[in-house]
Amino acid sequence: MKSRLFVALLVIGMLLTACKPAAGQETIAVSGAFALYPMMQVWAEKYQAANPSVQFDVSAGGAGKGMTDALSGAVDIGMVSRDISADEEAQGAYFVPVVIDAVFPTISDQNPVKDILMSKGINQETFTKLFITGEYKTWGDVVGDPSITDEVHVYTRSDACGAADTWAKYLGGKQEDLLGIGVGSDPALLDAVIKDPLGIGYNNLNYAFDITTGKNVTGSLVAPIDVNADGSASEDEVLLSTSEAVDAVASGKYPSPPARKLNLVTNGKPEGAVKDFIIWILTEGQQYVNQSGYILLTEADVTAALGKVK
Amino acid sequence: MVRNQDRYGSTLFFILTLIPIILLVGISAALVVKTLPLLREHSLLELLGGTTWKPMKGLFGFLPFIASTFWVTILAVLIAVPPCILTAIYLAEYANKTVRSIMKPILDLLAAIPSVIYGVWGMLVIVPWVQNKVIPFAKSFPNGFPLLVSDNPTGFSMLAGSIVLAVMVAPFIIAVTNEVMVAVPVGIKQASLALGATRWETIKRVVIPSTLPGLLASVVLGFSRALGETMAVLMVVGNVVQMPRSILDAAYPLPALIANNYGEMMSIPMYDAALMGAALILLVIILILNVASTLILRRLMGRVRRAW
Repeated sequence: MKSRLFVALLVIGMLLTACKPAAGQETIAVSGAFALYPMMQVWAEKYQAANPSVQFDVSAGGAGKGMTDALSGAVDIGMVSRDISADEEAQGAYFVPVVIDAVFPTISDQNPVKDILMSKGINQETFTKLFITGEYKTWGDVVGDPSITDEVHVYTRSDACGAADTWAKYLGGKQEDLLGIGVGSDPALLDAVIKDPLGIGYNNLNYAFDITTGKNVTGSLVAPIDVNADGSASEDEVLLSTSEAVDAVASGKYPSPPARKLNLVTNGKPEGAVKDFIIWILTEGQQYVNQSGYILLTEADVTAALGKVK
Repeated sequence: MVRNQDRYGSTLFFILTLIPIILLVGISAALVVKTLPLLREHSLLELLGGTTWKPMKGLFGFLPFIASTFWVTILAVLIAVPPCILTAIYLAEYANKTVRSIMKPILDLLAAIPSVIYGVWGMLVIVPWVQNKVIPFAKSFPNGFPLLVSDNPTGFSMLAGSIVLAVMVAPFIIAVTNEVMVAVPVGIKQASLALGATRWETIKRVVIPSTLPGLLASVVLGFSRALGETMAVLMVVGNVVQMPRSILDAAYPLPALIANNYGEMMSIPMYDAALMGAALILLVIILILNVASTLILRRLMGRVRRAW
């Protein structure tokens, strides 16, 4: 009996010490968008190495989860990969852009009209007729050749996500307005497009391009967006590698949207350790952005963001 | 001392027994409260009968999701039940000990496979099969084959979802059916055989009628499991908001709606309320089904007992 009591006390004691933070330690809790999670892990690791007194607790669960957690005080920082809605700002969401990501239209490299697409590109109006109004049904419609009757198989994201939100915004709608078969995640959407020669979809930078080779993922191509709608894809509209894509976005030649800023959200203006961390992200932290597969904010954006925090 | 133990023990057990009821009431109440903002602005008729889902524009029609849920589930049960019942009959009445001792653990294993694995299998095997075999077959009818006319060119369809679901619920249907068949008293089977009936006649005239409530229970169990299954279905069903007209159309069942959007949209109040509303609808459907099946089962059980 006595020994059992002793064990019970021991266990309770251990549980209590486990919960108690060490003196002088500060923990920054972060949750939210999957799109920002890998970046945040790098930042947290580097920041902690330089500031051993700060601990991190980073988790991914979707932009809405990050927003809800940040507003309710469950975490210090929420990661949000889509636009902040007016409802959310009214509840006290204070957001700071920290990095840029972009969405790219993807097709299969077995596409029957791939050569025409790669030389002519696809303009915004054509994308709208494919993804929003559904007026264009065949690849012949897309390239302007009625003799081609292969149907276009439009794929979209079934899960609410920043990529779909941004792609829809580019085409003048919301995610709920996008047509197409819904597939559950970035890699699954690309996979569906690779397997389907008649498919078209859209992917974030990190999925549209292979991280290890820096080229288009095998079996897929990034369809050139004919930004100036001159009926031909110029050299800087054809994106065959990560570096070309990053340059096109950073230089502003690639439209925004579908390029977009990813945000950190706090409940009201950040203070203390959280403020220091966000300022560090916008200054020293920016050196890790490119190697992690994201795109740097422009200097003007960084200055504006720092102004919002300070 | 010992008597006290008994008394405290039974009180404790009673409280623990109450937890499921408290949970059910608690969950329902929470869902209703969370759905209230939606119900305040939209009539029930508009929500349940509406077919347009544009939450950002304030349009919340749940009918496509409800219809999809029933279509996919009913189709899955239709696919699963006949082979499952025949398998159960074989295992209970014909199979020798070796077959039974091999099949039982395999069926248990099938039941234990995580649903996401079934989903991956569906995407790799079933979706391409539907796209490359079933759709060309359906198109080979010049006037269109009923229920197979669709302008969905991909294999992501209700058919794919239902096949994956059917495979998932099969182990449960087989297990329950087998249990109730094994439980039929040997005496009445022997009596039937002694009267000169063949094995199949005995199964048809004696075993199946006396196990009817059990058969129904196994189908209902399969149905309710299929109704709430989320992950595997979501991965292959296409997730297009529309009223499905053909088994080759894409569909969007209620559980997929919640799973796809909750993590991203829970911070937008009306969207959040709508997703809670979807959960509430799902809960109410399951409650109605379970209560109805329990009532029918009781009645049937009574009839079978009187017959014995």
